[in-house]
Amino acid sequence: MSSLRLPIETGHLVLRPFERSDLDAVRRYHTLPSVQRYVERPTRYEEDVAAALAIMRSQVELHRPGETLTLAMVRKGDAVLVGHVSLKWSDATAGQGELRFAIDPAHSGKGYLTQALTALVDLAFDHFRIHRLMVRCDGRSHHSIKLMQKLGMRLEAHYREHALFQGEWDEELHFAMLDREWRPTAKVQELPMRARVA
Amino acid sequence: MALHPDFPLQTERLRLRPFTRGDVDGVFAYRGRDDVARYLFDPPLSRHECALAIQQRASQTGFLEEGDRIVLAVETAANGHLVGEVSLIWRSVEARQGELGWIFHPDHHGRGYATEATNALLDLGFGPADLHRIFARCGAQNEPSWRLMERLGMRREAHFREHALFKGRWDEEFYYAILRDEWLSLRHV
Repeated sequence: MSSLRLPIETGHLVLRPFERSDLDAVRRYHTLPSVQRYVERPTRYEEDVAAALAIMRSQVELHRPGETLTLAMVRKGDAVLVGHVSLKWSDATAGQGELRFAIDPAHSGKGYLTQALTALVDLAFDHFRIHRLMVRCDGRSHHSIKLMQKLGMRLEAHYREHALFQGEWDEELHFAMLDREWRPTAKVQELPMRARVA
Repeated sequence: MALHPDFPLQTERLRLRPFTRGDVDGVFAYRGRDDVARYLFDPPLSRHECALAIQQRASQTGFLEEGDRIVLAVETAANGHLVGEVSLIWRSVEARQGELGWIFHPDHHGRGYATEATNALLDLGFGPADLHRIFARCGAQNEPSWRLMERLGMRREAHFREHALFKGRWDEEFYYAILRDEWLSLRHV
């Protein structure tokens, strides 16, 4: 596998590693309860954000299983940071990966996550040779569910009351996609030309 | 909650009781078979491995802390013949979650023994153990197993495809679950 080329460009976004100067922008969305749920590290308080940012800044490659690649979603033109997407390489022998994402609610609904996740799915299957990608989301998160369906992911699991989350019964969905299920047309339409990795 | 049931548990035709040293041959009779091991994590066990497994199970008769399991031998009430085993694992203390499992000797399939024994374990789990949700899983190809889950009133919650390798091949797995309320309504029809 050749080394990863960053940043990645999509229609409206640049996906790049996080930088120290992103702190204020990250703080704006990272501590929101709606964002907290599926971020890797809870940041309930502002002082946790710097630590979370330091971790995200270090997640720039996938060398071994267990590692995560996290990219900031930066809007072209005004360079506003609108959220982030990440890919965790969870298992090497079975080629498993997990996607996570978070968006500043002020910038949701504009198709940014669709663009960023499409690029990340592309990267997972083509560059990192992942066999299966999964996404977890809250059963009540209608935006996430719609997004997963738009990406063509299958609903694989619907757990009811399988755990407690902040004192309430949790409802969790798992969506998944195999490498051979990923629509090749999505790449052609959504992504700019760039070097393909064999 | 912590639980140390009185054994045996009695059903219409079966007795569920802790394993004893005398069960080695009875366990080897099914755990040694290829067709039984096919859907289990373990390969077919040798007689010696069965003896070790039984030794371990002597203490697996109650819940004290998370991860504890109750593993019981299932024998016919009529003649004390060992027909299989059932298990209940305390997966989460906080969220009151349990996992149900079973293995039966193929010679005794088709008589409803597995349904009868696992129903008794659901009653133990939702009754004295005060669980909120009990789940079970099996390979998608193991139809008798998920048919049993459906007979127990469990819902299919997950269908994982190629999420892992199992014995050198892509795995396809079902998760089934039943909530306490669902169990209650089944028992009070």
